Amino acid sequence: MEKYFDLSYLWGAIPALLPFLKVTFTFVFWSVLFGTLLGLLLTWMKIQPKNWIKKIAEGYTTVLRCTPSIVLLFLVYYGIPYIFMTFGVNIHHIEKIIFVIIAFTLQFAAIISEVFRSSYDALDKGQIEAGLSVGMTPFQVFRRIIFPQAFLIALPNFGNSFVLLLHEGAIAYTIGLIDVVGKAELIIADNFNTHALEIFLALAFIYWILSLCIEKVFQWLEKIFRKGHIV
Amino acid sequence: MLQLKNIHKQFGDNHVLKGVDISVGKGDVVVILGPSGSGKTTFLRSINFLERADAGEIIFQNKTIETKTATKKEIHALRQKIAFVFQNYNLFQHKTALENVTEGLIIARKMKKDEAEKIGVQALEKVGLHDKLNAYPVQLSGGQQQRVGIARAIALNPDVILFDEPTSALDPELVGEVLEVMKEIAHDGITMVVVTHEMDFARQVADKVIFMADGVVVEEGTPKEIFVHPKEERTRQFLKRVLPEDYTVYI
Amino acid sequence: MTNGLDYPFLFKTFFVALSGVPIALLVTIVALLFALPTGFAFALSSLNNVPFIKQFVRLYISFVRGTPVIVQIFVVYSSVPLLLDIFFTTNNINVNVYDVHPIWYAFIIFAFNTTAILIEVFRSALSAVDRSQIEAAYAVGLNSVQAYRRIVIPQALIVAMPNLCTATINLVKATSLGYAISLHEITLKAKVAANVNYNYVEAYIDIFIVYLILCMVIEFLFRQYEKKLSKYKMQPSAA
Repeated sequence: MEKYFDLSYLWGAIPALLPFLKVTFTFVFWSVLFGTLLGLLLTWMKIQPKNWIKKIAEGYTTVLRCTPSIVLLFLVYYGIPYIFMTFGVNIHHIEKIIFVIIAFTLQFAAIISEVFRSSYDALDKGQIEAGLSVGMTPFQVFRRIIFPQAFLIALPNFGNSFVLLLHEGAIAYTIGLIDVVGKAELIIADNFNTHALEIFLALAFIYWILSLCIEKVFQWLEKIFRKGHIV
Repeated sequence: MLQLKNIHKQFGDNHVLKGVDISVGKGDVVVILGPSGSGKTTFLRSINFLERADAGEIIFQNKTIETKTATKKEIHALRQKIAFVFQNYNLFQHKTALENVTEGLIIARKMKKDEAEKIGVQALEKVGLHDKLNAYPVQLSGGQQQRVGIARAIALNPDVILFDEPTSALDPELVGEVLEVMKEIAHDGITMVVVTHEMDFARQVADKVIFMADGVVVEEGTPKEIFVHPKEERTRQFLKRVLPEDYTVYI
Repeated sequence: MTNGLDYPFLFKTFFVALSGVPIALLVTIVALLFALPTGFAFALSSLNNVPFIKQFVRLYISFVRGTPVIVQIFVVYSSVPLLLDIFFTTNNINVNVYDVHPIWYAFIIFAFNTTAILIEVFRSALSAVDRSQIEAAYAVGLNSVQAYRRIVIPQALIVAMPNLCTATINLVKATSLGYAISLHEITLKAKVAANVNYNYVEAYIDIFIVYLILCMVIEFLFRQYEKKLSKYKMQPSAA
């Protein structure tokens, strides 16, 4: 069995992989941030009474839900430089991570807009009327009444979506980004493609622990924000 | 002081309000009665633009607002002076009883927090909830929640309070406490427009009773005129259905 | 400046991508056929607190939900051949593991992954059916099996439908990762076609459209089926 499987490769891989989490974190962070902003816009569109605005946002969500991450990533990676080229601008020198962030921003916005929309739907809308009836402006009602409650309802699913994005992001290496997965592939290549299993197991453990940690953080956040609110 | 003229409202093909006129004097308690589907709730909601009427005008403190063309500013100004009590209380779920009452004062009226809290505590004392200041809506009974709803309205010191079936979501044993509070407010001389099914309240407290059916005002008058000597056949039919046989004996 | 899209290539490659659909669907269907009964059995056992199974299920789901699908593919694809090789040599079976068609790995990987997802789907669907329904079933004299088969499962299935639809769509999308094990499904087929003249933009547009169509069709079918199942929930037409 030793000729196939050697635990020392697994232990050795972990310290080699960990520094590359920085790259993974970087694009996940920016994608979640920009995706949340775009997602808020989409949510706003989805709750508009005007049909065509709603339809655009819903159509966007459907299309993105139907697109595998790897297809989306490559569409962005090849498509955006192509579009720029038709205007005579060469953007081939820009960093790969930018394309990764764009692709996952587009994806996260679609996912999170559904999360936000359903937490908005869960609210008792009578509170909007009550807010208006005590003389608040619609924006004040949103900021003081709707948002704080919707935020709390959305928090657990926001955490799940965060983990989902981390996982979908694991394919970023396919366009040549050296994140934690890309590094794993490099290590295996250095070992002449032997002991791949140990390296991949190390990779799996890193993701697993990370996902559990993120989950815990969101549970903790929820507890903090809920404190003293509703028993 | 408050007058509505020729209010029309249509939902799709459903003509809910077909030209409703009422006028409310300062300090009056006006009770609107009518079978369900008569448009009384829609009418009440259109007074402070929770529903925008398709046509008609609202004359409030000598200012005329065309319902169809009213601007955001006009609506906002109107709402500053007309408070609303909802059938389902509509309390802010993430705020305590006191915060529910002070929210409008602090945010809409830009009042200082301690000043708003003083008024809020007074309002909650008025409705008998001084011991529930820091309770959240989920910790309160329906009757208590509605009393917070009323406190929220009176704290704004409005010129008019609109009540939309304030007791119909309540268990029967909780109706009394809410009606008591409403009576007290009526005695303080606050102008009230109340949509309700509580005939006793209408009889005892109202200065004017309006009977609505099928989107129009069928008849209006003092409680005595409406309950004892209704002129219209539709009013008689309605009262016969909702009142006990020997009701007039009590009046 | 570029010369614009290569439309003949775009058109031709669309059918190349389309020709990968049967493989993607085959993998999806085999994975579902395995995962539906297995997932249901595990869900039921863990809900009924069967010892060991409950702990095993928790760990299993945690792993599948805690790691990216592509990493699961890497792990399975690099471990299964080792295990098979040991198995074949110790039993003197003369099969070279490297001749095993990648679709078998795809079956294993996606069945492994989807089962965990479906355990969760069924678990939440089963717990969503009101406990009183079982009590009522017992009260009219049904035994546990009958109560589940005739009362609980039909209701749970309707609750599970939207999540089953999502799981199926995610599964179809995940087959796009088959490139990692050289499975000639939609993405890889079109990509290979693009390699000749670097027509990647066109190829990915084609792939994108094929998934879009596939996904919409699946959603449509699920919606139709759900409508059929949930007839009893229909409101009387007059409100």
